[in-house]
Order: sequence, then C-alpha cells, then structure tokens
Amino acid sequence: MDNFLDALSVLILFSSFVLVANKRAKSYIKTFRMQSALIALATGIMGIESFFADGHIDILIVCVLIIALKVIYIPNLLNKTLANVEYKVEKDFFYNIPLLIFICCSITAFCYTCILTIHGINTDVLNMQVVNSIALILIGLFFMISRKKIIGQMVGFLVIENGLFVAAIFSTHGMPFIVDLGIFIDLITAIMIMGIMAFKINEKFDSIDINKLKNLRG
Amino acid sequence: MEFLLPAIPAMTALLFILLRGKRLLHTISIISSILLAVVGCFITKDIISLGIIESSVLGGLFYIDSLSIITLDVVIVIALITSIYTIGYLEEELKHGKITLERLKVYYILMYTFIFTIVLALTAKNMGIMWIAIEATTLASAFLVGFYNDKHSIEAAWKYVIICSIGIAIALLGIILMHLSSAGVIESSHLLEWKTLYNNAQALNSPTLRLAFIFILIGFGTKAGLAPLHTWLPDAHSQAPSPISALLSGVLLNTAIYGIIRAVAIVNKNLGSNTFTGGLLIGFGLLSILTAALFILTQKDYKRMLAYSSIEHMGIITLAIGFFTPLSVFGGLLHMINHSFTKSMLFLSSGNILQKYNTKEISKIKGLLKVLPVTGVVFLLGLFAIAGTPPFSVFASEYSIIASIFEKSSFILGAVFILLLAIVFAGIALTMFRIFYGSNASKDVTPGETNKAGVAAILVLLVIIMVSGLYLPTQIKDLIENAQKIIIGG
Repeated sequence: MDNFLDALSVLILFSSFVLVANKRAKSYIKTFRMQSALIALATGIMGIESFFADGHIDILIVCVLIIALKVIYIPNLLNKTLANVEYKVEKDFFYNIPLLIFICCSITAFCYTCILTIHGINTDVLNMQVVNSIALILIGLFFMISRKKIIGQMVGFLVIENGLFVAAIFSTHGMPFIVDLGIFIDLITAIMIMGIMAFKINEKFDSIDINKLKNLRG
Repeated sequence: MEFLLPAIPAMTALLFILLRGKRLLHTISIISSILLAVVGCFITKDIISLGIIESSVLGGLFYIDSLSIITLDVVIVIALITSIYTIGYLEEELKHGKITLERLKVYYILMYTFIFTIVLALTAKNMGIMWIAIEATTLASAFLVGFYNDKHSIEAAWKYVIICSIGIAIALLGIILMHLSSAGVIESSHLLEWKTLYNNAQALNSPTLRLAFIFILIGFGTKAGLAPLHTWLPDAHSQAPSPISALLSGVLLNTAIYGIIRAVAIVNKNLGSNTFTGGLLIGFGLLSILTAALFILTQKDYKRMLAYSSIEHMGIITLAIGFFTPLSVFGGLLHMINHSFTKSMLFLSSGNILQKYNTKEISKIKGLLKVLPVTGVVFLLGLFAIAGTPPFSVFASEYSIIASIFEKSSFILGAVFILLLAIVFAGIALTMFRIFYGSNASKDVTPGETNKAGVAAILVLLVIIMVSGLYLPTQIKDLIENAQKIIIGG
C-alpha cells in the first residue's frame, strides 16, 4: 500500500507541474480539479485502511468532503467567477513555460536537499510523501507570483491549501477531526470572499489584472 | 461560564442578521459589549484566584490562563470602547450619505463576527482551533477593510486577504510539523493541545520542532505585520473605517503575537535555551522597527503613519519576547497592552479628524487644536505617548524592555534599539506636529466635536494610559507576572 501512496504523492506533485504549464485560466481550474481528485483518492485509500484497522471513519468523511468541495463545488465556483469576467481573461503568463518548469524542478530538488539534510530529523515520519507535499506548497506559491490575473492567484492559493492538506494527511493521517473540519470551513469562506472580491475588482478597475492594483504605496 | 465569551459576540452577530432598525442595532451592540465586559470581569477574577480555567463544555474546547486573559481583557475593553465610538461614527457617515442603512447592518454583523473569531482564538485549547480562528479573523475583517467599496479600499482588502491567507497557510504548515514532532509522545485524545505539548515539550522531536517554529513565525508574523511581511498592514489600516482600524491595530495584531508566544514557549522549553528562537525574533523585531522608522520619516498620510507605528511596536514586542529574560517578557506583555490602548485611542481620534477634514493627507490639515479642541489635545498627547514619552504607559514598558537588554549586557543591541526609537520619535514629531498649529485655511470645516459619546470613550482610553503609566494595580501586575512565568517556565 505504501508504494501506491508514494506513487500518488508523486502524481499529485506532478499535477502541479502541469498546472504551471497551463496557459489559460480555464485549464488551471481543470488541473486543480484533477489534483483534488488525486488527493481524494489518496485520502480514500487511507480512510479504508484506517476503517479496517481500528474502525475510525473520520478520514472517510474527510474524503467525502474533499470530493464535494474541492472536486465539485470550488471548481464550479471558479468557473462561475471566470464566466463573470471571461471576456477579459486571455493568456495569463509572462515567462516562457520551459523556464517555469525548470524552476519547479529546482524547487523540488531544493526541498529534498533542504529537508533531508537537516541533522536528526525523524525520517520515519518526515518521509518522501511529506517532502513532496512541501514542494507542492512552494510550487503553489511560485504559481501565484508567475501569474498576473486574480483567477491565477486564487488557484495558487488553493494549490497551497492542497499541499498543506496532503502534508497533514500523509504525515499523521490527518489532524484531529474537528481541526480538519474547521480548515474546510475556512477554505470555503476564503474562496467565496475572494470570488466576490474578484467581481468587485473587475467592476471598479475594469480588469482583473493585479498589476492595476498599484494605488496604495509608501 | 467561559463558553459565554465567544458565545456573546457570536449570538450578537446572529441577532444583527435577524433584526433591523438603526436604533435597535446600536442598542444591541452596546448591550452585547457591556455583557462581554461583565463576563470578562468574572473570568478575570476566576483566573486571579484559580490560575487556569479548563472547561469540559463542548468536549473541552476552551482553555484560559493568565496569558490568554491579559490579551482577552484588552480585546474586551477595546471592543466596548469601539462600540460606543462606532455609533457616532456611523451616524455621521449616514448623515453624509457615505453608507446606507443596509451597509450599517453589514458593518455590525462583520464587526461582531470579527470580535467572535478573536475571542475564540484566545480561548482555544487546541493549537489547530487557534489557527482556524486566526484565519477566520482575516476572513471576517476582509469586507470591513473594503467597507467603503472604492478603488483604494478594495485594493487594500484584496491585498489583505491574499497576503494574510497565504501567510496563515504557512503557519498551518508549521502547526502540522509541530503535530508531527509530537508523534508517539502525546495521546490521541490530547493532540495539538497547547498545555499537553508544553508539558511534554522535552520529549518532542527537536529538529522537526525547529522547522515548525520557522513556519509558525513567518505565518503568524505576516498577520502581526512584522517586516518584511508587513505590506498589507498600512493599506488595510488606512483604508478601513477608523473604529475597525482601532480593532485591527489594537486587537488583531496582539492575537497574532499571542500565537507566536505560544509557539515560542514550547520551542524554548524543548531546546532548553532561547538561542534559536531569540536570533530569529530579535532579527525580525529590529528589522520591523527599522522599516517602520524609515517609512514614518517620509509619511504623508496620518492613518498610514499610525499603521507604520503599529509595525514598529509589534517589532518591539517581538524583540522583547525574543530576548526571553523575565524582565523583557514582562515588558513585552505590558507593551502589548499599552500599545493596544494607545493605538486604538489614536485611531479613534483619527476617525474624528478624517470625518471633519475629509482628507487623510497630513499637509491638508491645519489648526487641529482649534477645530477639534478635545480630539486635537488627545491626538497630540497620544502621539507623545506612542513615541514613548513619560508619563504615559508605553514609556514604562519600553523602559523595562531597554533595562532588560542592558541587564544582560547586550550594549550594542540596546544602543541600536534606542537609536531606532529616537528616529521614530523624530519622525513622528517632524511629520505630525505641524497639523496642530496654524489657523484653519479651508472654510468647509466648521469647528466643534460631532461624536460626543465617542470623544468621551476616547478620553477613557487617555485616562487608562496615563494612570497605568504611573501606577500598575497589583492584581494586573500579578497577572502579567503569571503570564510571564507561563512563557518562561518555573
């Protein structure tokens, strides 16, 4: 089973590479949906394992929540936000793609060298899966700064959140249940608020280009 | 009893959703904040006699000790004063057509949700819940920052949401790693509980915990406005309605610092010294003071000036916590309280100034002492206070922090610190003091205070900071000392 989870964690990391290579806002959302589905799969496997091992259904509930929120609801919400401002969103990147992919590779390599060379770190718990998740978080951050449109930033934020979730679920089989639940509530509110703000920004600035948000300085 | 603390603001927010009518909303707001203050008094009394309150309500969600109660009491007092001030402020905005009745309702709902999330963060037993509540503070206050719905405030709100959400996400990674470092040490029913983590600190895995601390510091540091992660703060504080600026600066920043302090206590106990955390905290602290000092010197907007001053004071508190001697931690905690009261007073006064002159630019304001006789005097005294002039309370806490630095013979650090404080003082004097003199050139401004109740509330804060600068009641001193013992141990 561990091999399978290892493979999944690599696939999840790989999906973020795909994301960085996407050119259009619509494809970001598709890639995000795919990444969330992979995470749901990993969570489902762990949930079934822990259900047969000690009868807990916590992780299975979390898995259902992921499917409902991250695979279905949030991508739909993003699509709706995009539809509101669609006529203005075109290509949204300003570096060339091979360079972006190369930077992502470097980020992954950086994570491995950094974390695995810290003396005395517990390699049983801080394994490859966790390092992959941390790389995923950093790629999410990088994705945010490589895009100019608000939709790109929202997807970047979601990828960071995915990375955090994967780090928690792979390292400790999830946080205490109530904490996981709270994180979901926060996430869903955050995305809704960002969606409303994207709409307002579009209204006031006539664009969702974050380069136009430069009035406040000093 | 303790579950009432978060319950009161939560219920109030719900009531606001159901009810309408301006007068009713104002009344409920006042009643609710008075109730909160009464409950706060009782709980403070319990803490003074018992030390710790752990409740079994809701599966033992709450845990309050001296450290939480001093932060909580500040929240409660400022919430009460702000709610009194808010009535006059909103009435004035209504009169000038800046907001509608519908927006007033939204304002109250969000304000009490914001207070609820802060109180929850300070009473939570579980570090995970604390994180959730701190993230929720950002979400609750996002629309308050963008309340006026113009270009500038929406830009500020967007920056606020994005930067703080990402920052806080980094803190979650830290908390996950802290959780990881406790694998196999803590029973599954007590996972992530601060007290259990602290009691078992020596058994946690040190390298993982060190990694965790870096992420937690960056994460909560973003929310506390430590440089170089402070960029959202001046925008959000200057664009939000003034009562909200007072809450953001006086209450929200403390909550973030509170998160850092909780983590510092665990990590330092685990590592046995403050070498690791101290280096990071003092570095961030000094950098924040330096950044703030430079921006204050060249500031043209008085609300932004106050915001940069908040960054400076968060830097001072971080530095004091990083120093980690009993005196410096005591000074740091006292500074948290003093800064909150002084800065809220200043932001509330700045609200009166803004409503009178309709500008945030320092150069367009003249003759403040003649136009707003009470607010002007309070603002002038407040600026002296925030710059660290005796007999105000900020001086007392800054003095004990400086004394603690020299006590440990870190002369260079002490000298740099004092130099930076002097630059800030000069900056405030240079940029701000010109607004008080001269005669009012514009004819649109009619002299006289409008928000009478608000001015009275501001005067209460002035009395608090003057009295506590000269004399600190024994009970409060004991509470702060207990909090300091909780952090340092022993």
